[in-house]
Amino acid sequence: MRAVLLLALKSAWARRLTLGITLVSIALASALLLTVERVRHDARENFSQTISGVDLVVGPRTGGVQLVLYAVFHSGAATHNMQWDSFDALSHHPAIAWAVPIALGDSHHGFPVLGTTPNYFEHFQYADQQTLQMSAGRVFGEVFETVLGNTVASELGYHVGDRITLAHGLTETGPSHADKPFTVMGILAPTGTPVDRTVHVSMEAITALHLDWTGGAPMPGFSIPAEHVKKFNLIPKEVTAMLIGLKSRSDVFRLQRHINHYRGEPLMAVMPGVALDELWQTLASVENSLLIISVLVVLVGLAGLVATLLAALNERRRELAILRSLGASLGEIFLMLTTEGLMITVLGVTLGYVLFAVGMEILAPMVQTQFGIHLHWRILTVNEIILLLSIIVTGFLVSLIPGWRAWRMSLADGLTPRI
Amino acid sequence: MMKKWFLALLVSFPLAAAEPWPEVKWEVLVPKHWNPAKKFKHLDFSKLQDSDPRAMELLDEIKQEWDNAPIEHSLNGKKMRIAGFTLPLERKGDKVTEFILVPYFGACIHTPPPPANQIIHAKSKIPLSGIQIMMPIWVFGTLSVQRGDTTWGVAGYGLSVDKVVPYKEKKQ
Repeated sequence: MRAVLLLALKSAWARRLTLGITLVSIALASALLLTVERVRHDARENFSQTISGVDLVVGPRTGGVQLVLYAVFHSGAATHNMQWDSFDALSHHPAIAWAVPIALGDSHHGFPVLGTTPNYFEHFQYADQQTLQMSAGRVFGEVFETVLGNTVASELGYHVGDRITLAHGLTETGPSHADKPFTVMGILAPTGTPVDRTVHVSMEAITALHLDWTGGAPMPGFSIPAEHVKKFNLIPKEVTAMLIGLKSRSDVFRLQRHINHYRGEPLMAVMPGVALDELWQTLASVENSLLIISVLVVLVGLAGLVATLLAALNERRRELAILRSLGASLGEIFLMLTTEGLMITVLGVTLGYVLFAVGMEILAPMVQTQFGIHLHWRILTVNEIILLLSIIVTGFLVSLIPGWRAWRMSLADGLTPRI
Repeated sequence: MMKKWFLALLVSFPLAAAEPWPEVKWEVLVPKHWNPAKKFKHLDFSKLQDSDPRAMELLDEIKQEWDNAPIEHSLNGKKMRIAGFTLPLERKGDKVTEFILVPYFGACIHTPPPPANQIIHAKSKIPLSGIQIMMPIWVFGTLSVQRGDTTWGVAGYGLSVDKVVPYKEKKQ
């Protein structure tokens, strides 16, 4: 038996080029399948971990998914703002335990700037009801003070006490708020959510920045120096959205209806979980088609394996016939061929895993900056192990085909020279 | 002698022992003597004209009455199983630790929402897997009456979950 396996190895080594290419195709296919599965899983987990303990997200009327995407994930832009008066009135509603405003629109080196109140740091929760923690410094108090998300601070190399300026709008090319620099007061501990990529300032700061602005540009020939802004009324006129926590979570429908029917202005309230589920339902078909495509790629790889082995079988007639005539049984020939297929599958999957691991290591920071999705480094999840095992099992099953063909080939067939 | 002893045993362990979580229907959660229309008995709809603004006001008032629907306090601490649709609130990974249970499909998205006594706020110590939005489910647990806020919120039902089982249509 060992002699047969050794022969099988040597024979395979003699055909290393074709087998090597097949192996690489299986490796690429399994790496693709693993990547799709990992990104799909982590993206979903990331999204559901981003917000917790918030019962309603309130904003001007738009799509529920859109509202949650820009208010919580800071992706996309608001089409309209809600009035500060509405925020004020709603936040005093008896059913509400806490409410924080959110003002978006400015940026700092591509990181979104979020105007809010110090309450935000107390009430905003992520993952499984974890609150935000400061890794250094404290929450902002004065107008021109800021609290940075962890990624902002680490990527731009900021420390508590540094001074930064914000840009108007979402790109660096836009006009800047250079006349009113901010002092970094605190840096948040990492959360793995969009909070890491956010620059937090007070609502008053957002108003102060735009005091001497009109129509999206600084008023020509007129500017208010930073030290004089306090002379103006810094109560904001508008907010982008608000987050609400309820005293009793079963009141959520009633308050939702109250807000949707709010008489002051057209508003909408969405439960973040519901909006995210809607998003998943829309994305489910894309996700599934990606998964189906990668499964098909794996099947193509395995079909290539069978084709290679079958093609080699013709070349190996002599070899197999000589083995038979030297006393190898039919079973041993069968085993030799099947083992070869299984071996290539296992090696291919292993190489695929290595490719996947290296690829994840390289891709993870890019995906984090581009899409805000944090890809976790894990060895393998249960799902991924199941996927890999099913590739190996399928590889074994299809390897039975060349084994069976070799079995069927008669001894005489291989020894009779044909002209 | 043996028979008597056995009979005594049967009597002292009524059916409740066989069914630790008796099934409860949603109607039971509404107090028996509550009548939302009581306030409006004196009103005669036939006297209202078409597109009468008072009709709309009245509708709003009746809706409000429904919103403030009272709850059945005697159910506090009762073990039960109840079937409903889930609306996940809190997740731990892809598992759910807190959800709202409502009696009909789509209650969270469409208006009007169910009244306060037809909403159960369920919490589970063990994260539950496989719960999706608006999924029919059997929930086994202990009902509690939550004291509501005095000014606006009325009391509501809470449920501490022991286990959940996917709901299947009974075979005819």
